[in-house]
Amino acid sequence: MPIQYYIGLAIALFCIGVVGVLIRRNAIIVFMCIEIMLNAANLLLVAFSKMHAALHPTVANAGIDGQLFVFFIMVVAAAEISVGLAIIVMVYRNVHSIDVNFLNRLKN
Amino acid sequence: MYHLTNILDATPTVNTAGGYLPIIIQLVFAVGFVASTLLISNFLGPKRISKEKLEPFASGIPSHGEARQPLAIKYFLVAILFVLFDVEVIFFYPYAVNFKSLGWTGFGEVLLFVAFFLIGFFYIVKKKALIWED
Amino acid sequence: MNAIILSAVLGVVMMFSSVLVSNQKAYKGIALVGLLIILIANINETYNGPIFEINTYNMLAFDGFSLFFNTIAIVCTGVYFILTSKQIEKVGGHTAEYFTLIFFVLCGATILSAYNNLLMLFIGIEILTIPLYILTGSKKKDLKSNEAALKYFLMGSFSTGLMLMGIALIYGGTGTFALEKIIPAAASAQGAPAVTAQTLSFLEVGGMLLVTFSLAFKVSAAPFHFWLPDVYYGAPSVFTSFMASVVKAAAFVAFLKLFIARAAGTSVDVSKIIGVDWKMIVAILIICTLLVGNISAVRQQNVKRMLAYSSIAQAGFMLFAIFSLNEMAKEGILLYAVAYSLATIGIFAILSRMKDYTFAGYNGLAKSNPALAFANTVFLLSLAGIPLTAGFFAKYYMLASVMQTGHYMWLVIVGVLFAAVSADYYFRVIQSMYFKNSESENEGQLEENPSNIFKITVVALAIVIILVGVFPNSVLYWLYN
Repeated sequence: MPIQYYIGLAIALFCIGVVGVLIRRNAIIVFMCIEIMLNAANLLLVAFSKMHAALHPTVANAGIDGQLFVFFIMVVAAAEISVGLAIIVMVYRNVHSIDVNFLNRLKN
Repeated sequence: MYHLTNILDATPTVNTAGGYLPIIIQLVFAVGFVASTLLISNFLGPKRISKEKLEPFASGIPSHGEARQPLAIKYFLVAILFVLFDVEVIFFYPYAVNFKSLGWTGFGEVLLFVAFFLIGFFYIVKKKALIWED
Repeated sequence: MNAIILSAVLGVVMMFSSVLVSNQKAYKGIALVGLLIILIANINETYNGPIFEINTYNMLAFDGFSLFFNTIAIVCTGVYFILTSKQIEKVGGHTAEYFTLIFFVLCGATILSAYNNLLMLFIGIEILTIPLYILTGSKKKDLKSNEAALKYFLMGSFSTGLMLMGIALIYGGTGTFALEKIIPAAASAQGAPAVTAQTLSFLEVGGMLLVTFSLAFKVSAAPFHFWLPDVYYGAPSVFTSFMASVVKAAAFVAFLKLFIARAAGTSVDVSKIIGVDWKMIVAILIICTLLVGNISAVRQQNVKRMLAYSSIAQAGFMLFAIFSLNEMAKEGILLYAVAYSLATIGIFAILSRMKDYTFAGYNGLAKSNPALAFANTVFLLSLAGIPLTAGFFAKYYMLASVMQTGHYMWLVIVGVLFAAVSADYYFRVIQSMYFKNSESENEGQLEENPSNIFKITVVALAIVIILVGVFPNSVLYWLYN
């Protein structure tokens, strides 16, 4: 398939993630939207990796670094998930809600 | 859109975008059928809402309590630790692919990686994060 | 390299000392000794080369600038430990873990000072921020701390998402993550037949914009600053201190390195590719940041919140380095890191011992604790950029670097104007301390009487700031030797 389709899909996913972060109120859903953004980047990286491999057929391992980057993103995202879910659980135990609109104690 | 090079050049030609057309048509029909029946029945069907009707039905036995029981925090802790250790395994994948060419140096580095792993594991064991009984 | 490896190892050591060492007081000692080891190793690397010879395939590059920044970061962390370790012990029951996380943050900062590859930029930023989410929420029962942690986490990972998308687009445009090659001209020269420079740089510019926004998030440049006041205010004061000093400076060094690498080594005019005027974008960021930070800080009644907004204003000044991108900017950002970090650490060390964080809480401090009031005055003057303090030369270098680029006199004038505005809110604290009387005379303003050692270190820190202000070259001398 042409690379445009992958770019289009990734940007669509990314926009869904951004819009979700901006308009949803449930902290878990916001978190899921952030994960969608990360996965859009993953998808794009893999697609570009393949594209660069096709562009430089003579170069050994061309475009391989894009796929390796994806591994790092996945691992870091897992670390972020564990910290983030722990924070959300902590908030829930104290407030009994994870609606981000309740987060207004810090306003003046 | 800008003309970027087709990935297709390096992959078999069966995979053209045109090949997906039947699937898309089928998808449109499937989604359209579900959506239209839901909408039509919503408009045509009678609406009589009473309190009894809205209650959850469980074989005639009156329901009590909430479905959302608080879970012990231990489940959560173990689940999180599992995710962390599970995902780290991803780094073995590129190592496995290049197992031969990396040789003993690669093996040493993977051992170092596993050692860091084990350090984390010892820490959570020492912190008693894996003990179920309180 | 030494600093990266040793700070990670020291983090693990601290982690295990929490289960092996039961004496709560010992942690501070272990942390300080560890920090001293890192400092010695880093200085040794500056002169004799690294102990650990690791081929990083040019993903990390250790030049004088990055090693010197590491030294600054390590020294500031050391000062921070000495001044506030007592308060760290009070936060919760996990003292050793807090030190562990701070060591990991330091590891992230050292990676950021040396990265030469977008992968390392990403990993460095993550290592820098993930421990901070935990530190922000370390008061588990305090609702403000909880809320700050959740906000910081959601905003932080959102900006990470932006950065990753940006990196992916840059990769698509250039086919590499290496910093020196992410320039459109270099990529098209590699011989990509069907891909013109035009299409490639479209992706690259889009990606670069996203990465810029994301880094603006991390350094809290307006209009991406909105998370910062709440997070700084809600987090425990000791950790706010660290976030506002070393962490911020590290994020700025990362920002600066990215832009300098981008501006160097290309024949195209990188400041204007496809209608995107980078200088203009950064100038808008600077003016927004200075405006929002200063105007909001003037209106605050709470010193901690005022300091949060003032840190946005200071970020505006540090952004001048990213605007001018010359040698003077590099020197300036190092001076700024020293001046700003030390002053912030000092102010927060005193603030975290106050009973009342409002301006009224400082009333009459000069009578009850003249030494602390004097030191606090020096720190505040340094932040305001008054001559004879380190802050003055930091601000001077920033503005002078902009003057060197030429044609941008108006930006310098804006900077000077806002520096004058900033004096207002800093002087209000000084006014409270010296010219207002406390309502409750006999109780005192501090939670407990500070030890003499604390007083001496704070005053010594103030004297260091004055010395740097009188002889700024004493700091920069180390950069070139």
